[in-house]
Amino acid sequence: MSIFGGLVPLMNPATEISVGEHVKGTLFGGTLDMDTVWATAAAVVVVCLLAIALRRQMTSGVPGRLQAAWEMGIGALTKQVEGSIGPKGQAVIPLAASLFVFIFVCNIFTVVGLGSKYEWLSAPNSDINLPLAMSLFVIILVHMASIRARGPVGYVKHYLTQPFPIFLLPFNLFINLVEEIAKPITLALRLFGNLLSGTLMLSLIAFLGVWKLGAVPIGNVLVLIVNPVWKVFDLAIGGIQAFIFALLTILYFDVAMSTEHGDGHDHDVDLIHSTPEAALST
Amino acid sequence: MLIADSNFLIPNSTLVVELVAFLIVLGVIGKFVLPFLKEKLDERADLIKGELAAADEAKADATAADEDRKAALEEARHQAREIVAQANRTAEQVRTDAQSNGHSEYERILGNAENEVALARQRAVDEAANRMGEIVMDVAERVIGREVDAEAHRDLIDEAVEALRADAAGGAAAGSGVRQ
Repeated sequence: MSIFGGLVPLMNPATEISVGEHVKGTLFGGTLDMDTVWATAAAVVVVCLLAIALRRQMTSGVPGRLQAAWEMGIGALTKQVEGSIGPKGQAVIPLAASLFVFIFVCNIFTVVGLGSKYEWLSAPNSDINLPLAMSLFVIILVHMASIRARGPVGYVKHYLTQPFPIFLLPFNLFINLVEEIAKPITLALRLFGNLLSGTLMLSLIAFLGVWKLGAVPIGNVLVLIVNPVWKVFDLAIGGIQAFIFALLTILYFDVAMSTEHGDGHDHDVDLIHSTPEAALST
Repeated sequence: MLIADSNFLIPNSTLVVELVAFLIVLGVIGKFVLPFLKEKLDERADLIKGELAAADEAKADATAADEDRKAALEEARHQAREIVAQANRTAEQVRTDAQSNGHSEYERILGNAENEVALARQRAVDEAANRMGEIVMDVAERVIGREVDAEAHRDLIDEAVEALRADAAGGAAAGSGVRQ
């Protein structure tokens, strides 16, 4: 089955198609996905190197390419935050920027994937742990911001009196709970699903390698053609998913920090029940 | 643990490590990048603002200089017009003076000439009158064949001379009228 004869088992593409399998390790009794931990550490190092490179060349004069890219990204984020949340949303900018940069760098790792069972540098977001960690962290902060903006009483009241009048309180509580529980799950699964499907696609493409027409390894030729095409596509998906995650974070903060009844809640319903594309147009 | 190992949708302890990794990134970007990036952006904004202000100032200076230049040009044009007008007035004055002087000179020369003519005429008339008395007397002596006493016929002679003078004076007046 192997196109490399099984010489290097860990980077041996398409020995079998695995879904969500990781190299396991243990730390303080807990199970760790070591390939994800290693890839995440690599992403952190890349982000730190980017930050150091940026700091070294940072100038108030004519910016270099790296600084210009950062400024453009931060400028777009700031505009988005000020447009939706307003001036009080300044605190969200570092979070949204970190999410975008970190997710984007992590997603770029799909480019070095071969479609093997265990990649040397897997995409960390194709493991549920990273997207879920980030989405839980975001949602906890969103709720903290909501309590801060509305006050404890207003925070509770919001879940009891919206979207229907007070006499439908149990119904209000139920749909709001469902909505709030769904938020971190959808936020995490959207990113995870896109990246996992990307790695699965790489495995499937690598699997083409077994196809031979007589003695002609036509499958290997196809792998060489299709794999780069898919990786370009995957890069675009990685960028878009990073953007969507950061944007939805901003929009969740917007909804949580809006104190006007009705307006904010409409946002909630749209974001939860619509596609990412529809949410982007909100 | 068995469920976590068999289902890739169930998180495990990796979540904590991933959260720590993300917090590190958040710290690096939030504390190490964004404040300095913002600082540099603000500095650049101030720089651009300053340069724009300087450009506005330079533009204002240029406008003021242009206004001064226009004013100086207008002043120069005004002075030039004044000079030309003054020159025209002086020329007119010179022309008028010259005309006036010429006319008076003409009048003076003409007057002198008329006086000389009148004097010459008077002298001619006087001479002619003197000569006429003699001629008349001479002719009368020849006509009547004897000497005529001039003193005895002085009154006649004088009368004839006066008549001649009057005639001459009339002719002179007529000549002067024709000239004018």
